[in-house]
Amino acid sequence: MPVPAYTFLVLSGLLFTMGAVGFLVRRNPLVVFMCIELMLNAVNLAFAAESRYLNSLDGVVFAFLVITVAAAEVVVGIAIIVQVYRSGRQMDVDQLDLMKE
Amino acid sequence: MVVGFAIVAAWEVVTAAGVIGFRRPIYNALSLVANMLGLAVLFLMLNAQFLFAAQVIVYAGAVMVLFVFIIALLNPLSELSLEPRGSEWIAGAVLGVIFAALFAALLFNRGLTGKTGTFTPEAISAVGNVQAIGTALYTRFLFPVEVTSILLLVAAVGAVYLAMRRIR
Repeated sequence: MPVPAYTFLVLSGLLFTMGAVGFLVRRNPLVVFMCIELMLNAVNLAFAAESRYLNSLDGVVFAFLVITVAAAEVVVGIAIIVQVYRSGRQMDVDQLDLMKE
Repeated sequence: MVVGFAIVAAWEVVTAAGVIGFRRPIYNALSLVANMLGLAVLFLMLNAQFLFAAQVIVYAGAVMVLFVFIIALLNPLSELSLEPRGSEWIAGAVLGVIFAALFAALLFNRGLTGKTGTFTPEAISAVGNVQAIGTALYTRFLFPVEVTSILLLVAAVGAVYLAMRRIR
């Protein structure tokens, strides 16, 4: 018996919601980044499920592009976090307001 | 198939809770590795073998090695004071429930509609999963692939630039 498509979409929505809650709640910038990765992964799951159940490859290709974009985003994001750490500022996303100045 | 999906789905939810719940960043990172490997298994269930390999290599391999390396480098044990307060957890949970309700309303009202394509599992396995995706990537999706390659170049240059200068 195959798994119905909407169960994959429900799981994807659940994972996305958990990532969003973590993004809002956590204050360590590294953990916030991990929550963003969680959300991107949930979207990839939805893409793969749609692709499989609509007999199309577009979703898989798009998920592959999302993986690439996420890799680029992590590289730049972690470079920024390391810079902030080296400048001796407190590692709290509530305290990081360099753009205000 | 259904039992396997239920096990992996439970695994995904538990490890996602670990990502947002653990106090020490290294445990968050290891939970995220477990979550990504479970997701790779789900891709395999969805007949997306190429995505499975990309997920394991790029995410569970490269990205998470970077995360763990940075955690080891920065030694964030000194920042355990950055814990979310109880009221923040409650506010986050309320927002999460609202978000999930919106998702559910959207999902059960619209369902999985769309035009069905020609790439049935049999058609894909006739040419091979990687060949089918490669053909799609370098014919129909050539422009997005080129744009992504430029994005990767920009990200690499940006990371090197950020690593070289020192902000005050």
